[in-house]
Parts: sequence; C-alpha cells; structure tokens
Amino acid sequence: MLAVEARGLTKHFPQDIRAVDGIDLAIGEGMIFGFLGANGSGKTTTVRMLTTLLRPTAGDASVLGFDVRRSPGEVRKRIGVALQEAGLDDLQTGRELLTLQARLYRVPRSDIRARVDELLRIVDLEDAADRRIKTYSGGMQRRLDLAAALVHRPKLVFLDEPTTGLDPISREAIWRYVRELNTREGVTFFLTTQYLEEADRLADDVAIMDRGRIVAQGSPAALKASISADVVTLRIEGGAEGVERAAEAVRRFEGLQDVRVVEDSVIVYVNEGSTAIGALVLLLSEAGLRAREVTLARPTLDDVFLRKTGHHLEASDGAAAAEPTARGRR
Amino acid sequence: MIYAVTDTWVLTLRALREAVRQPAIEIGNVFIPMFFFAVVVGAIGNTAGRAFGIENYTGFQMPVAVLQAVAGAAGTAGLGMVTDIERGYFDKLMLTPAPRVSLAAGRLAGDGVRTMTLATLILMAGLFAGSGMETGVPGAIVLLLIAGAFGLAYSGIGVAIALKTGSNQAAQIGFLIFFPLLFLSPAFAPKEFFAPWLELLATINPVTYILEGMRDLVLEGWDVQSLAAALVSIAGLAGFTMTLVALALRSRTA
Repeated sequence: MLAVEARGLTKHFPQDIRAVDGIDLAIGEGMIFGFLGANGSGKTTTVRMLTTLLRPTAGDASVLGFDVRRSPGEVRKRIGVALQEAGLDDLQTGRELLTLQARLYRVPRSDIRARVDELLRIVDLEDAADRRIKTYSGGMQRRLDLAAALVHRPKLVFLDEPTTGLDPISREAIWRYVRELNTREGVTFFLTTQYLEEADRLADDVAIMDRGRIVAQGSPAALKASISADVVTLRIEGGAEGVERAAEAVRRFEGLQDVRVVEDSVIVYVNEGSTAIGALVLLLSEAGLRAREVTLARPTLDDVFLRKTGHHLEASDGAAAAEPTARGRR
Repeated sequence: MIYAVTDTWVLTLRALREAVRQPAIEIGNVFIPMFFFAVVVGAIGNTAGRAFGIENYTGFQMPVAVLQAVAGAAGTAGLGMVTDIERGYFDKLMLTPAPRVSLAAGRLAGDGVRTMTLATLILMAGLFAGSGMETGVPGAIVLLLIAGAFGLAYSGIGVAIALKTGSNQAAQIGFLIFFPLLFLSPAFAPKEFFAPWLELLATINPVTYILEGMRDLVLEGWDVQSLAAALVSIAGLAGFTMTLVALALRSRTA
C-alpha cells in the first residue's frame, strides 16, 4: 500500500487562481518524501488537501489507503501534521498541550503521561515542559509542534516547512528527529521545504513543484544525474549588458548543453567541465569580456530546479543560511 | 457519540484554563454591569420605583446587570476562537479526530461556565445591595442556570462570526448586538409604560422574556409560565445561533 497516492489533484480558488493544477503522487511507506518549491508554488495547498483541511476542486487522493474526501476521519486518525506556522496555544504549557493532543487522539489515558514525557525528552523540552508556550523560542515551538504531531505514533507525518526561519542548530535538531523516527520506527514523512539542502540531505525522493505543477520527481541523486552535465558558473564584470553578451559568446562552445543567466552570472552546462573552462574563458576574452570568478561543480538540486523551472529557488526566510550554494557555486 | 462528549469536555477544560489565565479580560465584564447597576439604582432608583410602582427597584435592576455581564462575557467568546484561528491552533484541532461539533461545543460550554461564574458575582453583589430573592436559594440557582444557558446560546453569534470570518473586529459584533436588544426590553421600566411601537418591539424581543423570567424569580416567586417563556426564548435563540455555528464550521473546510 502506498502512504500517499494522488491523481490529478487540483485546487482552484476564486478569480481563477490555480494553486494546485492536477498533480500525481505515489509515495511509498517508510519513505522521506521532499516536496520542494518556492513560496506560492502550491506545496501548502497540497498538504492541506492531503490532510483533509481543504477540499480538492478535482482529482483523487488517498492517504494510507483512505480517500481524503470520503473518509477524512480515518485519515486524521492515522496521520500527524505540523503545519507551516507552529499552531500552538500560547496560554498552555508544553506538557498541557501535548496532553490535550493525546486525549483528542485517543491515546489510552493510562499511557498519556509516559508518552508525553517520552516526547518531551525526544525533542529536548523536558526543562521547559511546565512553562507557558509563549515563553518558548521559535525553535522550541517548532520542536513542540513536531512532538504534538507524533503524540499518537502516526505512521505518516506531514511536515510543512518545518525548519523555515530556524537557526542552523534548531534546523539540525529537527533533521535529526526526522531521520531517527524514519530509521527506528519506519515513520513515513511528507516534508515540504524551500531549502534545497534540506531536501537533498533528508529526502529519499523529491518532487519539484512550480506554479501548481510537479515539474520533476525522483531521488535527489537521480534528479542530479538526469542533468548529466558539469556546471560552470562564470561571474561576469560589466553589468547586465555584459552578462547578456557573455551568454551569447559561450553559446559558440562545442559540447554545450544549456546556458542560463542568473543575476551577474552565466551558468553553463557542459559535458566535460574541466576541459571546458579554458575554452569558455577564451570565448569571453574574444568578446572583450572578463570573468571575475569561475567555478566548476557537479549538478545540485538547485541546478535541477533551474533547468526545470527556468529560475532559481529563492527561499523566503533564512535561505542564505540554509543554502549558501543558491548561486550555483557548490 | 461518546467521543463528542469526552472531547467537548477536554476542550471545555482548556477554554476555562484560558479564561483563568487571562483574568484581566473578565474585569471589564464584571465592572461595567456593576457600575451601571450602582449608578442606575443610585440615581433613579427611588424616583423610578415610585413612578412605575416598583417597591424593590434594586431587585428590578439586578437581573439586568446579570444579563449585561453574561452578554459581555459571551460576546467576547468569538475572540478566543479568532485567536485560535490566527495562531493556527484551530487548524491543529481540526486535524485531530475530534468530532467537528466538539471544537465549537468545547468553547461554547466553557463560555457557559464562565458566564455563570460572572453571573454569580453580580448576583451576590445584588443581594448585598438589597435586591432580595423571593424564591430563595433554589431560585438563585435557577437564575444562574438561565444566565448560563443564555450565555451559551448568545456566544454562538460571536463564535459563528469568528469561524466564518476569522476576524477580530467582526467577532466583536456579537457583543454590540446585545445593546439594542437590552434597550428594547423592559430593562429600566415595565413595558406597560412603553410607547406602543416600543412595546411591540419589546414583545417580539427574546431578551424581554429571559429578563422577565429572571426578574420574577427575584421579585415575585415561582411562575411556571414566566420561566417557560424564558426557556423557550433561550431555546429559540440557541437554535438560531447554533445553526449559524454549524454552517460556519462547515464552511471552514470548503
């Protein structure tokens, strides 16, 4: 049985906004699935449909074998969800919130205390357990939110941008919990993210979402291999005009696969990067141009994203910290 | 069905915990009706009592203060719901297997208990000021139950608006609606003294019957017909407001 299956899943909003435009998904159990896309690409809307918070406009979706439209109650019993904004009640303590969640998820009363203690230990919140949530930092709130999603030991957990805006230490902590739960307990994760590094490091399979559609899907390694090219990034002096002229110049290179212009750089996809660099620099020189910086790298998910969507993935919050290679210099 | 009851119970406890941890919100709900009660009785109590042939104007006014406190507390019921929606906590609750009805019922029941607590404080202040209670302790308990039931029914307006709009400002309309309803009832004088148009409005106003039911417990004694009219009015109001809540809850998942 698949953990998540969707066919032609669609959500339109008034004024003909096509938030999700007929996507197909097939996510196996025990997998960490990364749903990668920029803000507004339709990731959250997809999660809200799969978790029964939003009715699809068209298409079918089933979660752990239950149709999200016909059996929303059965779906809700079996999944854990931590949405993009850690939806917590500031006036409760961490322990009270988890206890309430446990009761609403039908955890046997005799097991609640032990389960809450266990979760507080897992997310390192034992010391803050009896403090009101309004005193928690952003990272602590995210960890508590994750614990709340796990209270009933779900087999499938949806995490909607669980690390957006977090500092690197909190981000690493969330990644560690996800990996441990996946390895130790076989929990399936459906993880949306706008961080390439997060998808690359955590996910077994990745789908790239752009403007409501899935434009690429596969394991990070397979997606990167699909480019089958080296990436040469040439940072050009001479402003926008110089960059345009440089792009024209390098198009004459034999063995060229693709050229993209991003800000002050020309990104060139070639068969053999190590031998191409000299020739590319020479072509620039013949055109009266100079590269300030030249880098050679294997393709990253960012390159996959760029090739599939025509633009870089620009995370809205803390992106620089998470993804220092967003300019193609990895 | 059993989960609808148990989940409503745990969510009621949560709503009450929230109220206890924000005592400042209740101060206005107690202070304003007590202030009006003291000023109206102190300023025009003797004159109004003589003019309308009411011996105990303090007792005549006490249920008005109780209703005002109840409406004040119930009118802010939607604000708690809006806060949950804005924080995203309502989504978290919607994601649990709890029956949808419990999500609204827990908050409404919490408001019912909250309003009864405020009503108890006003009742005690009224007794201290000399309102008396013709039906004794059992009558006081019935009066508080009526107050709680009215509070529960009335909070449905704010909760429905909150669910539908998720807007703080809109949710406060619930409280504002009460003022015309109170002033179009025999709050300050028996309706026999009203101009015909006002008497007609008071006759079709459900608050009139709730107020008169409570007032009879204080001033007259047990009157089954008066109590029945109060209960029917509350049931009618609850039927209307709970339908709004149910429709608003449904629209949340559209």
